[in-house]
Amino acid sequence: MTSTDTSSPAPSAAPSQRKLSTAKAMVEAVAAEMARDPNVFVMGEDIGAYGGIFSSTTGLLDTFGPERVMDTPISETAFIGAAVGAAVEGLRPVVELMFVDFFGVCMDQIYNHMAKIHFESGGNVTVPMVLTTAVGGGYSDGAQHSQCLWGTFAHLPGMKVVVPSNPHDAKGLMTAAIRDDNPVVYMFHKGLLGLPWMARNPRAVGPVPEEDYEVPIGRADIVRPGRDVSVVTLSLSVHHALDVADELSGHGVECEVVDLRALVPLDTDTILESVGRTGRLLVVDEDYLSFGLSGEVIARVVERDPGLLHAPARRVAVPDVPIPYARSLEYAVLPTRSRIRDAVLELVDA
Amino acid sequence: MEPREQRDLYRMMVLIRTFEEAILREYHADKKPAFDIGAGMIPGEMHLSAGQEPVAAGVCAHLTTEDAVTATHRPHHFAIAHGIDLPRMAAEIFGRVDGLGKGRGGHMHLFDPATHFSCSGIIAEGYPPALGQALAFRRRGTDRIAVAVTGEGAANQGAFHESLNLAALWRLPVVFVVEDNDWGISVPRSASTCVPSNAERAAAYGIPGVRIEDNDVEAVHEAAGAAVARARAGEGPTLIEVHTLRLWGHFEGDAQGYRSDVDAVLGRDPLPAYETTLREAGVLDDDAVEKARHDADDRVESAIAFARQSAEPAPESALDHVFA
Amino acid sequence: MTDVPFPEVSQRDPDAEGVLATWFVADGERVAEGDLLAEVAVDKVAMEILSPAAGVIHLLATEGDVVRQGVAVARLS
Repeated sequence: MTSTDTSSPAPSAAPSQRKLSTAKAMVEAVAAEMARDPNVFVMGEDIGAYGGIFSSTTGLLDTFGPERVMDTPISETAFIGAAVGAAVEGLRPVVELMFVDFFGVCMDQIYNHMAKIHFESGGNVTVPMVLTTAVGGGYSDGAQHSQCLWGTFAHLPGMKVVVPSNPHDAKGLMTAAIRDDNPVVYMFHKGLLGLPWMARNPRAVGPVPEEDYEVPIGRADIVRPGRDVSVVTLSLSVHHALDVADELSGHGVECEVVDLRALVPLDTDTILESVGRTGRLLVVDEDYLSFGLSGEVIARVVERDPGLLHAPARRVAVPDVPIPYARSLEYAVLPTRSRIRDAVLELVDA
Repeated sequence: MEPREQRDLYRMMVLIRTFEEAILREYHADKKPAFDIGAGMIPGEMHLSAGQEPVAAGVCAHLTTEDAVTATHRPHHFAIAHGIDLPRMAAEIFGRVDGLGKGRGGHMHLFDPATHFSCSGIIAEGYPPALGQALAFRRRGTDRIAVAVTGEGAANQGAFHESLNLAALWRLPVVFVVEDNDWGISVPRSASTCVPSNAERAAAYGIPGVRIEDNDVEAVHEAAGAAVARARAGEGPTLIEVHTLRLWGHFEGDAQGYRSDVDAVLGRDPLPAYETTLREAGVLDDDAVEKARHDADDRVESAIAFARQSAEPAPESALDHVFA
Repeated sequence: MTDVPFPEVSQRDPDAEGVLATWFVADGERVAEGDLLAEVAVDKVAMEILSPAAGVIHLLATEGDVVRQGVAVARLS
């Protein structure tokens, strides 16, 4: 179920499901797991008293104390590596890489250690940790603080990669990630956290069940069915795609929006089933265009059967350029609604 | 030191050397006539620890298998001294299904959960996970510790410095061991490191730093004993740097043309030197020496035999064990 | 009727203001005491407004409004 419907019931109706922002939904999942399992702990820069610079850990220090909510020095290699070692010994760390753009200083511990130890040990050692990280642009943070990079992480074997687009999935995927015995990279887009200090999409606040639940890792969600075009996307772009779909519905074009929710594992079956019905594929990806997710999705369709496509596949992604600072330039490269709309209409006319 | 402890150190060093000599033999046996790194029953790189036995023997004498050890691309001496399963270690080096990693890891990626032993082929990157293991041990209210091993070249990598700071800051039960064997492959320490000893760098992190000269196994044993006791008592990390000896090349196949000290190397071999020391002290005689070699040969050759008879992994299983 | 005030953000300055950043409930919804109603922002610091009572909520402010502390942003009936 999506979080698109924020309309209220009639005044005397029963209470509607309570709503949270994506950030608060993430925190709720972490807190519930920390309460349930004493092995779960949180580590990262400014995740203690500050609550995470993107409010990913608000309130956890007060509830669980500094032994389980640990502020670290600016030493990503040391503390992410420490999370690996702690996980090897049976603790379940949730460790935050503040911006995904910083992976360069610590990638060895991530892709050569966290992701490979289970394999190198022939399955004898598990690394049950979650690496959370903030991704995405649109608020003028420039080339080194606006990237998505999920294609880079997904490309390297041994780590699951999840990307929630809404508060409901944010909580369910966090719970699933913490309970998974594998390393999971949990990538949350800053623009859909519902932060008061950043312009946000209305769907950044949505209904979230109060009880514990998991969203299965590797299962995409058809958030909006439609007969004309399969728009396969993730993260903030899901909301832009839904906005375009709503608009074009009034003009007789029905878009099907597929929220991937994870890159590893990638839900190829749902992609193929959707494209099999619509015959037209548009991938919308805020990561860089070349050598990444959008090419991978198209490749998986074409490998199965190019005949599924009644028109050449299209993709709307960030071109192969560092993300510019100036707003006019940044919004020229992001996968905006107007780029998505133009691509859908071209696909439908093709 | 008690004679029994001294004999134990000597026997451990003999065991390690015997194993390394056996691997040397097996590794080169089928790479003739011209050395082909990818050929033979043990393909790939091979980094043997002959000459560095005193470090492993002296440190691991103070550990139990409940303590963690993270080692380097040259891990065999620490693996053996820490009590890893020798036949399964040999099988892993041979890339067989009965190996510690079912053939997936090989000689630089030995993992033994039973002894909390791991190693990594990335320079200095074994330090950070050791911090996490120490954190877990303390979280559980034990006095277990983590020993993290690198070479002297690794002391110039970022992970080294981040780890010392963080372990000191959090007073983690870690012992940092630096094996200074004079060479970072072909680059001598004088050309890589701004200070004469990495033990001095410990002061930058507010922790004790000790440098052991002459590859002296008993001096290592003494310093390690103090460091391990500190860690177990909750007093935080210590850095121990041992000036040791890389008896052979950086890797097998290394012609060592760059090595200016190659003529003096055999004369610095710690094993015959310690044997002489113990004979002169009346701790070892011919029978004891012969027994040490015989016992080592037995264990090593049966480990090698186990490895050779173990099956190679099936190609169809190549995608297994990516995820739990 | 119970007022839901904009929280106190400054003791020194009685006219201190902040922004009503996010409503987590819609006009006309029934809420319980303690439910999360809204998030307000004073500079980059965020504070939550929890419901002081149960009832049906009527919103008096819109997201993005600048509000003085103590001023009612909603009413519960």
